[in-house]
Amino acid sequence: MNPKAVRALVAKDFTLFFRNRFFALVTSLALVVYVALYFVMPGSVDETLEIGLYAPGWSPIAGDIQQQGLEVHVAESEDDLKDGITAHDYVAGIVLPADMAEKLASGQKPRIDLYFASDTPEEAKEAVSSLIRELIYAQTGQPLAVDFSTEVLPGPDMAGKQIPPRDRMRPLFAVLLIVFETYGLATLITEEIEHRTIQALLVTPVSVKDLFAAKGITGITLAFGQGALFMALVGGLNEQPVIVILALLLAALLVTGVGFLIASLAKDMMSVLAWGVLALVILVIPGMGIMFPGVITGWAKVIPSYYVVDTVDRVANYGAGWPDIWQNLLILLAFDVAFLLIGMAALRRRFQ
Amino acid sequence: MVQDAIAVEKLVYTYGGLVAVDHISFQVAEGEILGFLGPNGAGKTTTVKMLTGQLRPKRGKAHVLGMDVARDAGKVRGEIGVCFEQTNLYEQMSALENLELFARLFGISGFDGNALLKRVGLAGREKDRVEGYSKGMKQRLMVARSLVNRPRILFLDEPTAGLDPASAEAIRSVILEERARGATVFLTTHDMMEADKLSNRVAFMNNGKIVALDTPHNLKQQYGKRALKAKVQTQAGELQDREVVLDQPETPDLVQKLFASEKVVTIHSEEATLEDIFIKITGRGLKE
Repeated sequence: MNPKAVRALVAKDFTLFFRNRFFALVTSLALVVYVALYFVMPGSVDETLEIGLYAPGWSPIAGDIQQQGLEVHVAESEDDLKDGITAHDYVAGIVLPADMAEKLASGQKPRIDLYFASDTPEEAKEAVSSLIRELIYAQTGQPLAVDFSTEVLPGPDMAGKQIPPRDRMRPLFAVLLIVFETYGLATLITEEIEHRTIQALLVTPVSVKDLFAAKGITGITLAFGQGALFMALVGGLNEQPVIVILALLLAALLVTGVGFLIASLAKDMMSVLAWGVLALVILVIPGMGIMFPGVITGWAKVIPSYYVVDTVDRVANYGAGWPDIWQNLLILLAFDVAFLLIGMAALRRRFQ
Repeated sequence: MVQDAIAVEKLVYTYGGLVAVDHISFQVAEGEILGFLGPNGAGKTTTVKMLTGQLRPKRGKAHVLGMDVARDAGKVRGEIGVCFEQTNLYEQMSALENLELFARLFGISGFDGNALLKRVGLAGREKDRVEGYSKGMKQRLMVARSLVNRPRILFLDEPTAGLDPASAEAIRSVILEERARGATVFLTTHDMMEADKLSNRVAFMNNGKIVALDTPHNLKQQYGKRALKAKVQTQAGELQDREVVLDQPETPDLVQKLFASEKVVTIHSEEATLEDIFIKITGRGLKE
């Protein structure tokens, strides 16, 4: 290894990267946009549940059930209630029949109609069921003779520790910034091959190892630098910074390996874009799982970026520590080694 | 005794089943310019790639400045300069930045890129990005880049192909200056006139083999013929060609007879070109 030559090559790569208007613009713009988006997004969670109630003859009940985290809108009619749900004024509507008190008193089961919007989350449906149970108990002094089934969906148990949307997005933004650098690195390498500058380098004392080292340093610095800067700016390093930094560094290594692989497959800038989109889409999927818990299940674990997203999310948002995530980091390291070895082997063939 | 700058013995390279270089042997002395001629696909580029450490020979041996190109490729590359046929410069960088990058790769301190650019006629444009250069300017920069480390051996692949006369002449001057400095030049070219003018010796390569290697003069002596070419005017006023082969016992009589019996309009001597000789040896042209 020739450190001086590697340093010269890295300096050259950075010069070329930032002289490429597309990459210079996209890199700086992406960082600014994601940081801005983070601060524009809500920084707290609004957990107030708004429901509609149509209870002819039971109007006073609305006052009874107003409590913290619950806002009850009294509807004039059942149609009025339905319109309110359709217009998303509230997430659910309850119709209490006029003869409910009599039926309860005589031991009969009154019919209670519930209306939900098509996109009402399951948690809200559960909450409404609980509310009715509580309401009946308050009115009659005995539990409702109806069983509500409860289902816990996959994903971290969020009870009592809701994460603000912007913090939920944080791992996804970081991964997007890092993964995008597969384009930058793959383009730098592909241009060297396409314009045959690689040939000029390989008739100097520079060896193929020096080239890999230089490209690796360039790729890792570009990817890690952006990911780490973003996390620092949005407070993602407040909890366990060493773990988050390490996860981002391993992510940058992964991206470098993927970049090598793409460069070995791509013939020109267009094919870099084509392969890059494929890689980007796949690597971003686990980030979506953090945004929408329950959408993505165990199969996402075959995607290497899952271990980045999961680690950053659990550490930065839930205060997880080494005992919770060491396995993630180990699996990520294994993926890194595999991608780097495959990428370098494939690229070496193209260099020659 | 002058040491061989390049010594090649039974060198072989194959691409799969195709023999690109077939047991070639030759030597190039220090300070010599060797013209390496042959049509496309003859094996010239593969030979240069082996000598410059880009390809590892399949069989045979090649020594550059006494170093084995297969074993000491890194050291060999530190002592040579290579100018490729196709432009491969960093076009987003300036000429000076290109040269300074390669100076750093060669580990040269105190490198004066401006002086080198002045030498190839690019003074005043050193800070312009290469993407704005003409083909001739790029080629001159390519030559300058190959000189960054003051190489002991210079490999030049078609350095003047497709250039305007001024750029081509500037590059030829640099080649001769390098020889005067003591550098060995391995010149691959299709341009017979250029090879004839610059080379101490020329090697003809065909189908992976070296089919002739000698000085241009000796090759012409051995394979070519010198002749007098004349245009004569007949009594009907037509112009006709006449040829008298030189260096023959009957040549003086034939020349005398030509002037005595015919009305000579123009006359000049002509000798075989390297292309004629190549065709004579191989049965094919250099530009096939």
